[in-house]
Amino acid sequence: MASRRWLKLSTVVLAASLVLSACGGGSSSGSTANTPTTGSNGNASGGEAPKEVSFTIGYATGDPATKKAIADTVQRFMEANPHIKIKDISETSSAAYLDWLKTKDAVGEFPDLVEMRDTEVFADAGKIVELPSDLLELFNDPPKVDGKVWNAPMQVNSPQGIIYSKKAYEEAGITELPKTYDEFIEIQEKLKASGISPIVVGGKDIFHMGFWVNKFLIDQVYANDPDWNSKRTAKQVSFTDANVVQAMTDYKELFQNYVDKGWLSTGDNQTASFLVTGKAAQLYSGTWMFTQIAEADPNFEFGFYAIPDREGKVNVIGLPSPAGWSISTEASEDMDKVEAIKQFIRYFFEPENYSLYLASINAIPSTKEQVSYESSEQMKVVLELMADPNVKKSLAINNWWGENQIPPQFRNWYYKLLQELVVKDGDVLEYMKQADTEYDNEVKANAM
Amino acid sequence: MAVSAANSDNAYTAAKKKKKWQSYALFFILPSFILYTLFVIVPTIGSVYYSFTSWDGISADVRFIGLANFVEIWNSPRVHNALQNTLILTISLVVLENLFAILLAMLVDKVRWLSNLFRSIFYFPTLLSGIVMGFVWAMMLNYNFGVVNQLLAKIGLGAFTVDWLGDPRFAMLAILLSTVWKGAGYYMIIYLAGLQGIPQELNEAASIDGANGWQQFRHITFPLLAGSVTVCMVLSMISALKIFDQIAVMTDGGPGFETETLTYLIYKVGFGELRQGFGTALAMVLFFIILIITVFQVKILQKREVEM
Repeated sequence: MASRRWLKLSTVVLAASLVLSACGGGSSSGSTANTPTTGSNGNASGGEAPKEVSFTIGYATGDPATKKAIADTVQRFMEANPHIKIKDISETSSAAYLDWLKTKDAVGEFPDLVEMRDTEVFADAGKIVELPSDLLELFNDPPKVDGKVWNAPMQVNSPQGIIYSKKAYEEAGITELPKTYDEFIEIQEKLKASGISPIVVGGKDIFHMGFWVNKFLIDQVYANDPDWNSKRTAKQVSFTDANVVQAMTDYKELFQNYVDKGWLSTGDNQTASFLVTGKAAQLYSGTWMFTQIAEADPNFEFGFYAIPDREGKVNVIGLPSPAGWSISTEASEDMDKVEAIKQFIRYFFEPENYSLYLASINAIPSTKEQVSYESSEQMKVVLELMADPNVKKSLAINNWWGENQIPPQFRNWYYKLLQELVVKDGDVLEYMKQADTEYDNEVKANAM
Repeated sequence: MAVSAANSDNAYTAAKKKKKWQSYALFFILPSFILYTLFVIVPTIGSVYYSFTSWDGISADVRFIGLANFVEIWNSPRVHNALQNTLILTISLVVLENLFAILLAMLVDKVRWLSNLFRSIFYFPTLLSGIVMGFVWAMMLNYNFGVVNQLLAKIGLGAFTVDWLGDPRFAMLAILLSTVWKGAGYYMIIYLAGLQGIPQELNEAASIDGANGWQQFRHITFPLLAGSVTVCMVLSMISALKIFDQIAVMTDGGPGFETETLTYLIYKVGFGELRQGFGTALAMVLFFIILIITVFQVKILQKREVEM
């Protein structure tokens, strides 16, 4: 059923791309929705002037394309609805998004409308409220936490994979994409031999570590056992189990042999320039990078593929998870504010506006209503992966919820431990024992 | 008799005036006292309570868990690692900052021309914000684009280029050097004031007696700088124990946990890992560490001042 839906979606996107390329306006965005909706709450009717309302908005700004796409939508909304002022309090800092959000809460500046990623944590803390029921109709069965919908999902989780320089592959004599993980490693050897750094990693930003770590965890752990996290919490499985150790051994060997030397000093936002300037041949990341790379060098030719596992199976991120726009509890107590926020959410997801956002970051729509935009060659691969029933869909370690939610503080700690594993050439089994101890401590601490 | 009465009256009036002045003084002090109480004393007392809770920092649910946080601190390898990093950094910073500060102060004290310019140049890094300084150093030390590696490559030492902030062998050193560069100028001013208070005749007399430069420094200058040494050692020690900005900007405590200090750990667990109670307990531990070290340090250094 799901695959049929993805097939349908990809067909719509592909069809749109054909229609638009036929129009051939030379526009870089090529969107069907270049003239966004002008909003719905002007005071042109001649009635009473609408009441002035303002609310704050906060979202993750680590990815410049996403930041710009949201900021543009906010700007257009305010132009169309002059009586509603949205104060964008998002900041690009060296801190992780959760740290920033927590700091904002500590100083009494928790955003009224917030991009929520750790939904269960903030819902349990009473910081956010359920999504108003009249907004639920916008989405296709959004994920529930404790039987409630807390977010307006901004997009569907989409697969991550290798973004590669076609020129570097050609120069290294690589003519075929890998069908197994071992073939992928052979490609790394060829790239290395050709004199280019095979892989760039933005390890300075801790979230970037998750791309690779979760690739290996999904292949070895979550693809076979989606409930592994809950079993780990119940101490039925361990980080020292053979499958996790194998995943982390693969990760360590890849990083030690094929990743650019300065990976711990490289920020996520520098990775695109590494690729287009030929300093590295590949980047493992998500669809949001396509725009960044194309903007960094419109003539740069790149491709995308998901790395298969040793048996040739393909497992990718692609299940829904509870994340998206949430309304703060404090804002929910002011009905004017709630109405204004609801108006913004509806505006955000109107196809004309939503398509611009999706096109900016190459995302997959979460709405019931079909949204189309011109998809790139790389995005078509992503859509094919999502539509392919043989491709197993999964989630990153920290995106599971309910019984499968990990202690929220564990993710960053684990990624840091894995950085240390590589730079200190540590023993994987010993490091995984540390992971077990820390996980149990955090579960215990959170239960107190 | 009449004189005595007049004196008594004057004394009474003076005492009355004094008393009146004191009440006015209280009136002026009150606003600051209220603000200080509200924003320093009350949160400090409050944090004592929170250190015995499992509060996550965002929910209204604050559960008392007794000494559990302190037991975890005692047993946690991560805390031990942060404490070890803090102590290494503190000892190194106290020694290096004071050493460079004394050298700079002596240089500026001796130089005949442009002494004000040199003072300004050496003092200038102190005026920079730790965050800004951290960003600049992080850019300079960046493996791929940093000026340090580019310079090494240009002069034919490309083999020596390393990831200064990503290599566990160099990350702490990079933090140390950048902090010394920023802090030495401040202590230089204190030492300079101390140096200028030393009578010139003592060095002249020693010189006539045949003492060389090192002997003059060892037996005259350094002992007479004892007061400045006490102040600078205590200040640099407290500032080193609280180091945060440089770590946050330059390494984020990494690679891995290699440069994670106690203050940075307090921030990470308190804000990033949703464990405000545990973070507050750690802050309490750090408070007592600073208190104990400072008391010992002042006692030892003051004893040394007297001996000298």
